[in-house]
Amino acid sequence: MNLGPVYIAAAGIVSPLGWGLAATEAALRENSSAIGPLDVFPLLQGASLPVGQVAEMDSSLWPSRTHRLARVAARMAMAGCLEPPDAVILGCTTGGILTTEQLLRAGESKKEAYRYHGLFSVAEDIAEQHHCSGPALTVSIACSSGAVAIALALQLLRTGKIRRILAGGVDALSRLTYFGFHALQLVDRNGCRPFDISRQGLAVAEGAGMLLLTTERPDNPLAVLLGAGLSCDAHHPTAPHPEGRGALKAMQTALDDAGLLPAAVDYINLHGTGTPDNDRAEALAITSLFPAPPALSSIKGATGHSLAASGAIEAVISCLAIARGFVPGNTGCRQPDPALNLTPQTVFLARPVGTVLSNSFGFGGNNGCLVFGRDESSPTVNQKERGDLLAIHGSACLTGAGLKPSTLAQLHVGASIAGMLAPNQLEAQLPPRLIRRIKRLARLALLLASSAHEDTEGKEKPAAVFMGTGWGALSETYDFLSRLTESAEQFPSPTDFVGSVHNGPASQVAILFQATGANVTTSGGDYSFEQALLAAQSLLEATDQSALLLGADEGHDPLSFRLDPSITSGPLADGGGALYVNRDPSGARGLVRLAFYGRGQADDLPDRLIAALGGAACIQNDYAAVFAGVPAGIWDQGNRQLAGFLGRIGKGLPVCRYRDFTGEFASASAVAAVMAVSFLEAGCIPGALVGGADVPLESNQKILVLGTGHCLTAMEFMRP
Amino acid sequence: MNERIEELKVKLIELLNLTDVTPENFDENARLVGGDLGIDSIDVLEMVVMVEKDYGVVINSQEVGEKVFASLTSLADFIQAHTPGNAV
Repeated sequence: MNLGPVYIAAAGIVSPLGWGLAATEAALRENSSAIGPLDVFPLLQGASLPVGQVAEMDSSLWPSRTHRLARVAARMAMAGCLEPPDAVILGCTTGGILTTEQLLRAGESKKEAYRYHGLFSVAEDIAEQHHCSGPALTVSIACSSGAVAIALALQLLRTGKIRRILAGGVDALSRLTYFGFHALQLVDRNGCRPFDISRQGLAVAEGAGMLLLTTERPDNPLAVLLGAGLSCDAHHPTAPHPEGRGALKAMQTALDDAGLLPAAVDYINLHGTGTPDNDRAEALAITSLFPAPPALSSIKGATGHSLAASGAIEAVISCLAIARGFVPGNTGCRQPDPALNLTPQTVFLARPVGTVLSNSFGFGGNNGCLVFGRDESSPTVNQKERGDLLAIHGSACLTGAGLKPSTLAQLHVGASIAGMLAPNQLEAQLPPRLIRRIKRLARLALLLASSAHEDTEGKEKPAAVFMGTGWGALSETYDFLSRLTESAEQFPSPTDFVGSVHNGPASQVAILFQATGANVTTSGGDYSFEQALLAAQSLLEATDQSALLLGADEGHDPLSFRLDPSITSGPLADGGGALYVNRDPSGARGLVRLAFYGRGQADDLPDRLIAALGGAACIQNDYAAVFAGVPAGIWDQGNRQLAGFLGRIGKGLPVCRYRDFTGEFASASAVAAVMAVSFLEAGCIPGALVGGADVPLESNQKILVLGTGHCLTAMEFMRP
Repeated sequence: MNERIEELKVKLIELLNLTDVTPENFDENARLVGGDLGIDSIDVLEMVVMVEKDYGVVINSQEVGEKVFASLTSLADFIQAHTPGNAV
């Protein structure tokens, strides 16, 4: 447990204000808006709405514009660092969607063309560029993504097991977000004017921000990251809580985490999107927490709102404000709205800044707040030791065979559970009003969540939600883009846009349970559930707070066939699993932790995995069986890793290749997790799953759930 | 006018996926937004798009929208009054 400072060794930024720290500072000094007309993609009709666009980007399709923005900022942040980062954590909402939009319109059906679609591909690309062999994680939590990525990095660094993380956020302009926000009538046709009396909305923008965070003091740190706070409004899919309840909780949590009182803050970097509702809710939250608010400003009147990038871009600017001594102006605000009871700093002000609080709020009522301080400030963190292990008190899974009882019944006789539960069967198990506006993925998530909670037989509702999804809400994404194209860009659907965000399903779960704690959606391809588990074990409080941990994906024709390398032909499979977890092992059905997460092509991955599990002898003793996920799209590499691992252990452990039963979908490992918990409870693994006799489980034996392929991951399950 | 109301009932049930509502039990004078049906701001935007697409009638301000979507009857009245070619 590292309770020392977390330093910002370096930063990278690319935004409508320019490339790099110097250009960004120069633009902020001028206090002029970089928002202007769109030319990243042509419009079929009408004049362009104002956007925040990055200059000097080429227009090639591969890798996507998002990847290229991320590369620019990452290269800057890593320029002075000779060693690779131990982990990469990116916030991203739409990945390579701009390229995908063009491909879909052209009717492209070749998988290869879509290889940069997934959010996973952006973090993997950055990890590859910078030779990172540790986890490359993607959090996708709408407009709070960048801030949540940095908050997760802080917690991972505090474990003391990781020393250096490249963390940030990225998003490129795309039709999905441009027309989506327009459909929600959230775009101001006159540019963006946060906190102004006549503000009418935001300007969709793009960019990337990256921080190189380290626990080892660099020569000239920009600043230190003192604390972070996450919360969820659990109120509405898009609108903020009218009194800013979640915003207040995130700020309060971040200050508590940093060990600071509100009076210690010198500058608040506002989320300040310029929409009437957001600015009002944020102002109410600030005035209730700060009796005499410090200097504050939103830079979104200058940059626009770069969604997942914004929290990271503003983190970089918060560090600059400390390192260089300035308060940015609230560009675009001419007449502060008297109803907000706050007067933002309207012009650039050169003056020393010691402590900055930076707000990011997003769809689904997800809030992330970061606190930065000067190099000499040392945090007084009094965090409780929390360890890795999560206690499981309930579980649910959903497969082609149905919910857990019918899935397990099939598995006991070694039958396939692959397939997609019929839409009417899914619908029949959920209240009509709850699901009328959501499509398949969010429905799967709600059914999983409510079933896992029911399975606890009376535990309180979970306060936090962690969800992994490989591809997000494909139905809403596809329907939004199809209707956009069919209507010649005239009638984009606001409902589908809201539903298309990766964190939509987890937000629905939060609203169902009134879960106002952290709400984190990860999207890591075939390792999405493992990433959600890592987020949960890092972020779930040591208190009696409980969380729902889910993994789910939907099968979609044609998108699943085009996007997922493992899905080639034949009937689709989908579903997922959910665990109700907390830190209290008493009465638990099982315990779980993510024991290892490595990535890349290196041959030593199995050795590192074995070392992380305590060595070959330990593995022989402790583990009763291996559940191995070998995705069909990376079959050769996955098999090589699995064989390498089993060969090095030198004992023939029973192996269940679970995708043979679940079918191919990104979060199949969430089903494997629920299988592991259920078999531990039953004391036996059905022989039909491991190609031999039933495997009796001693009370001290564990089950290892491996993920192979692009990454090598290990979740271990044991009895309490 | 009644035909327009009946037509809108069917459209809204489909558009907003009100699977537990039938045209027979859809009260045209009941509060549409923020009422028992759970219709909120996102649904309003979806209805704005439908009214423009299907009737060629544009609703471009929140103030107008609030009046128009007060009930099914007020929506039908507004479409009637603003349909191109109809006398106001």
